[in-house]
Amino acid sequence: MWWNLFPQFFVSGITSGSLYALIALGYCLIQNATGLVNFAQGEFVMLGAMTAIALRQAVPSLPLPVVFALSMVLVALVGILLERGPLRRSRNRDILTLVMITVGASISLRGATMLLWGKNAHAFPPLGGSTPMLFWKAAVVPQTLWILFLSVVVLVLLYGFYHHTLLGKAMRGAADNPVGATLIGISVGRLVALAFGMSGALGALAGILITPLTTMSYDTGLMLGLKGFAGAILGGYGSVPGAVAGGLLLGILESFGAGFISSAYKDALAFLILLGILFLRPAGLFGSKTVRRL
Amino acid sequence: MKPGRTLSAAPPPGLSNEDGSRRGSVGTPFLPSDWRMLGALTALVLALPLIIRTDYTILLLNIIGLNSLVVLGLNLMIRATGQVSLGHAAFYGLGAYVSAVVGVTFQWPILPSLLLALAVVTLMGFLLSLPTLRLEGHYLVMATLGFNIIVTIVFNQMEDITGGPSGFPGIPKLSLGPWRIASDRDFYFFLWPLVILLLALSLNLMNSRTGRALEAIHERELTTRTLGIPTKRYKVAVFTLSTLYAGIGGFCYAHYVTFISPKTFDIFYSVQLVTMAVVGGMGNLWGGLAGAALLTCLPELLQKFEDFYVLLYGLMLMGVLVFFPQGLLPFLTSLPGRWKKSPRDPWEVPSSSRPAEVGAPGERNSPEGPDEDPGSAAPVHQGPPAMSVRDLSVHFGGLQALYRVSLEVHPGRIVGLIGPNGAGKTTLLNVVSGLLKPDSGEVFLKERSLRGLGPHEIAAAGLGRTFQSVQVYHRMNVLDNVLLGLHLRGRSGFWAGCWRTPGAGREERRLKEEALGLLESFGLGSREHWPVGRLSLLEQKLLELARARASDPSVLLLDEPAGGLNPRESQCLVERISELRSQGLAMVLVEHDMNVVMGLADRVVVLQHGTRIAEGTPREVQQDPRVIAAYLGNRKPGVR
Repeated sequence: MWWNLFPQFFVSGITSGSLYALIALGYCLIQNATGLVNFAQGEFVMLGAMTAIALRQAVPSLPLPVVFALSMVLVALVGILLERGPLRRSRNRDILTLVMITVGASISLRGATMLLWGKNAHAFPPLGGSTPMLFWKAAVVPQTLWILFLSVVVLVLLYGFYHHTLLGKAMRGAADNPVGATLIGISVGRLVALAFGMSGALGALAGILITPLTTMSYDTGLMLGLKGFAGAILGGYGSVPGAVAGGLLLGILESFGAGFISSAYKDALAFLILLGILFLRPAGLFGSKTVRRL
Repeated sequence: MKPGRTLSAAPPPGLSNEDGSRRGSVGTPFLPSDWRMLGALTALVLALPLIIRTDYTILLLNIIGLNSLVVLGLNLMIRATGQVSLGHAAFYGLGAYVSAVVGVTFQWPILPSLLLALAVVTLMGFLLSLPTLRLEGHYLVMATLGFNIIVTIVFNQMEDITGGPSGFPGIPKLSLGPWRIASDRDFYFFLWPLVILLLALSLNLMNSRTGRALEAIHERELTTRTLGIPTKRYKVAVFTLSTLYAGIGGFCYAHYVTFISPKTFDIFYSVQLVTMAVVGGMGNLWGGLAGAALLTCLPELLQKFEDFYVLLYGLMLMGVLVFFPQGLLPFLTSLPGRWKKSPRDPWEVPSSSRPAEVGAPGERNSPEGPDEDPGSAAPVHQGPPAMSVRDLSVHFGGLQALYRVSLEVHPGRIVGLIGPNGAGKTTLLNVVSGLLKPDSGEVFLKERSLRGLGPHEIAAAGLGRTFQSVQVYHRMNVLDNVLLGLHLRGRSGFWAGCWRTPGAGREERRLKEEALGLLESFGLGSREHWPVGRLSLLEQKLLELARARASDPSVLLLDEPAGGLNPRESQCLVERISELRSQGLAMVLVEHDMNVVMGLADRVVVLQHGTRIAEGTPREVQQDPRVIAAYLGNRKPGVR
């Protein structure tokens, strides 16, 4: 009976949805700091997973939390380098040039990963083993619980950072009004670099968490990045709650779409939703309409 | 927030000033203005097969031709909208697959399959552009990327129609009448004339009235709309046109290689196409050709390092953008000029034509100009008002920017609109010109209601305006700026622009004459070929005024014309404005300089906190206690 599948689809939707939400948050951080769409976000995700896999292979004795942290830091550095290098050098160019630079960065990261780790798919063992537990007709692997748990932790930390630390408040201020923030002595440039670093780390975490479910190869990042972007658009581009809600909603829609309509077109569905939202409600479900001024 | 918009005074090579001034200057109909370069290209294309013996090289040239077609379309779009598509591989693929499937499976002849393929491609392009081009920023890049993924998935999944991942074989070769295009050489002589034709048409288009409008959209979309140019329609049209190029390319490709598979049309091909455009200089039509040639040959030279392709493309794309944002090839071709600085540098101004001393141009035309006295010299029109604003209200969130404001202007009259900062003056002008929608109330031009009209329709109805911060086009020269104002007075469109029809040529000459006349009468006569960035602020304001005058409006809105000018300069501007009044224009003048307002205005309306607090002759208003209170506060000595 098809309704028996409901809980299962819902669980898998929530799982991929929270990963999309993490990726969408990465877009959101950079959008708020610079007004740019970072096309390399998907590559951050892929790179996070790849570094974690490589770290585990190189030093099997390394405890998992350290592997996680190191990969996140490494990808954060890649993000900071991207900002400090090519983007900062071109900061006076028009926005299209900057966006295309991130496209170039994304292709370069793909190419470099392919050279380093080859074209094969890589795997990562799931957290807490692979014995599923049964929750009300849905089989749930411990990895899913970890994903949900860590996503919530990230959200809480981000909220705390933005609302209860001076740095976070400075970041919100710089996003709101960069000139004003500069005038009161905030180094906006550093905050922008920090935003790139944070979104790199978030992407890396999403990548590490998703790999046990789907495996990872050099060209997986693009699709994941686009899904995250679709989630961010769905929720209202640039809004933090919007990114989370949009990512979750996209995951659920995708899961039910794959289950009830066609799994072959699962990936196409996300983009149909993206185009549909752009068509019907460009501000997203939770976003507000911005007013352009001359 | 657009970093560096004001800093980019020097136009990028592809949009250079010389390019612009050549626009429409060649009188011969149908002959492209770049005919020398095109002739050279044609000679090269004809000569190459004589030298080249191997079919492999011909094949490479054919691939270059196919890529050039798609890149040409991409560049047209970049130049007109400032946005990039990462989905042109999908349109290329659609052109290939539709034509192949109906040609093989349904046995359609070539011509109907071509038409169907192009119809499908342009329909998809049109539908995709509708939602995405409305938006600011880079949504188009993402949306086209998403579209490309969907199309690739569909090619892969619909196995019974497309053959799925294993591809679609057995596509017939093309034939033109008795000429069967079978060999690589045949295809070369079919494809390259097509490339040259489309290149010529695109160059013509960009050199036409339509092309001028397209470039204006790229630089300042909102301003362009207030000049009467339907920017959304133009953007959709140019995007659809650029997908058409990709569709034609895909069609040719399918019937050339006779076997197609989804892999060819995935996102990486889109990235390659964009890289070609970037290397040639984004928006540079000739550069695109060179970029396509370079990046098609490069992998062939590096055949042993196939695994490096992806990284190479990425680094190339990023490196060129960072180090040569105007394109690698335009940079290389500009190198010789850097070594020896030519004496006739177009940016160098001969000392005889230094900016005129302030005020001088005004004095020349003074005999007929009503010099000082506004009330008596202006022709009095007792008819209906040229414009009436009735009960206009606007609020932004909790802020009531305008509350039931009404005013009327008669032909040949100037209404001064004054008030403290934040009183709602510019908001009023923005509502009238259609940039903002009012919550309630209505604006009439003569008897015609402007309700629901967009800025371009309002401009076409006879409303012109200038802006508080001067909105001129820095990528164009002075003449082209005025010609943009004359856009509404011409009619030739995409088709006439592409083919340089005699009608379009006559129209362009007529517009140009008018533009020169306008420049002369605004004291900018010797500046027509100057880049706008070289003009002084006064001259830029005069240029903006000339541009607003060009569309022959019945009502003109002036937003702080004297702002930032010194007294002598503003006197010069005042003279121009009174001249416009004597020509019968109705004007609304927002201004902080009271000397200017009191000298020019026939009536004055005072706004405070979005409401009209006083109206009358300048003298009456000056003595109105509410006005004095609004400007100076109402705490009289001794009164608490």
